[in-house]
Amino acid sequence: MSRTVGIAGAGLIGRMTALALHHEGWSVTLFDRDQQAGTNSCSYVGAGMLTPLAELEKAEPLITEMGLWSLEAWAALIDRLPEPVFFERHGSLVVAHQQDQRELEAFRTQVQRKNTTSARLHELDRRGLAELEPELAPRFARALFLEPEGQLEPRMLLPALAKALQAADVTWHHATPVTSVAPGVLETDNARFDFDLVLDCRGLGARSDWADLRGVRGEIVRLHAPEVRLSRPVRLMHPRYPIYITPRPQGQVLIGATQIESDDMGAVTVRSALELLSAAYSLHPGFAEARILETRVHCRPALPDNNPALRDETGLLRVNGCYRHGFLIAPALVAAVTAFAAGRAAPYPALFHPSSSTAHQGR
Amino acid sequence: MWHLPECRDLSRLLIGTALYPSPEIMRRSIEASGADVVTVSLRRQNPTDGGGEQFWDYIKDLGKRILPNTAGCRSVKEAITVAQMAREVFGTPWIKLEVIGDDYNLQPDPVGLLEATEELIKQGFEVFPYTTDDLVLCTRLAEAGCKTVMPWASPIGSGQGLLNPFNLEMIRKRLPHISLIVDAGIGKPSDAVRALEMGYDGVLINSAVALAQDPVAMATAFGGAVAAGRLAYEAGVMPKRNFASPSTPTVGTPFWHGEPS
Repeated sequence: MSRTVGIAGAGLIGRMTALALHHEGWSVTLFDRDQQAGTNSCSYVGAGMLTPLAELEKAEPLITEMGLWSLEAWAALIDRLPEPVFFERHGSLVVAHQQDQRELEAFRTQVQRKNTTSARLHELDRRGLAELEPELAPRFARALFLEPEGQLEPRMLLPALAKALQAADVTWHHATPVTSVAPGVLETDNARFDFDLVLDCRGLGARSDWADLRGVRGEIVRLHAPEVRLSRPVRLMHPRYPIYITPRPQGQVLIGATQIESDDMGAVTVRSALELLSAAYSLHPGFAEARILETRVHCRPALPDNNPALRDETGLLRVNGCYRHGFLIAPALVAAVTAFAAGRAAPYPALFHPSSSTAHQGR
Repeated sequence: MWHLPECRDLSRLLIGTALYPSPEIMRRSIEASGADVVTVSLRRQNPTDGGGEQFWDYIKDLGKRILPNTAGCRSVKEAITVAQMAREVFGTPWIKLEVIGDDYNLQPDPVGLLEATEELIKQGFEVFPYTTDDLVLCTRLAEAGCKTVMPWASPIGSGQGLLNPFNLEMIRKRLPHISLIVDAGIGKPSDAVRALEMGYDGVLINSAVALAQDPVAMATAFGGAVAAGRLAYEAGVMPKRNFASPSTPTVGTPFWHGEPS
């Protein structure tokens, strides 16, 4: 008889873990407060940037290692899904306006200084930029090219994962919030379920179990911009947070995301909208007549070191703190979770925290 | 601020809490800096909805004195509202008052600053005004009742260092009984040393540490710089001279070598 696992939370990590454990022969039950479309999850608002090298500017080398491994894993994983998912790896570009050139230089030195991998960053002059993105070359004399990077479309990935889970006969209690998790036990408003293993992937929904978890507000704008032809994500240097302007299928362009220390889930503010839209317009004049399709807001679950963490007790594993790196590292994180569940030596041992401590633990 | 008996021994380095790679690196940087006072901004975290509570809890957990600021406020009314909110969130009458007058270099609005200062002092706040290095304005702020005045060295976040040491020295000489803190524009530890050597009571930094490639190491460097600068001020810097004065007699030198040619 196969072992049973109950998973609380069907965002990106919950879905991916469910599918991975199903493939390993587990009998999987999924619980989520949202519908299967997942439109209210933090993952749905994420931009799906797969930029392991660029993240080194602020993140630890662990994130880059997990991100590079995940890029390879995504290709194989998306291939096996029952629906097509937009996924590309043409590298990414980083550019800065004239007055922010020093920021670009600081970014370059920081990334090169912290990089422990063989992934490379190239400096491009105007001619080099014109070869990759001809429409940007008139405005920018210089760019950085981060060769291994890529992106995917979360709005195609989440439904494709749902379809794969349905095909796999995974039991999915949607619109069913989990009220508590304990070793081997998962409770909803009106029922109690017993499993061999319980996985908590609820992100900010698990806040009461993680003393130091916080929300970091992110805002994105989605445009229809047929006059703009870009082939890869472009990161524009900004004094407070990185802004990506990234092409999506059907002439769409995603701009995001802001990064504000707040749990506020209210609509996009004027200031944020101005910052995001002016970033796009300053990159390419073709954005002037683009249509604003929508703006979205969500809060990323983050721990004090902005790294993900796994807290294990016998019969219960809690996963949290993906911060702005969910799509970037998901395959690697899920590999660690499934190895742990199977009792194998898990990769990335630094992710595992003792269950009694919730934070303030330098590693 | 060092005029208060309970503040006499506080570090002369004040440090901000914005722009760090993570709250954990922020915590380690602040520890490494030896700072006893940290500044924190409320403006963008939607405090009316309880927005930034967890982040503020991290800051409260540092166990440091908190100096909330009104960063990003562009009007007197806005600055006063944020100050009142800060008093509630952090339970302190201290407020670092910023009223920004120019969006490009974030230069304080001197007229609005003085007006907001007078109002907040009336409401019982201990106001730390962030101001340009204008002697008359600094004097008026002191007359309004500020015990600490914080002139800039150069625009916020610019890292340009002490652009007008002449003005800063004049303010120091003319306001001997006011605590003076160089607030903005410090880029490297030597800037902090200079300010302290000049007799400034302290410096306030944020970007210089948060945006360094290794914030924790840079925080340690600033801790040392501030200690060195203060000690040098207390020790008394020797007077500058316009000629060389050997500290050992030049007995072996033929006298004509010392003659003007």
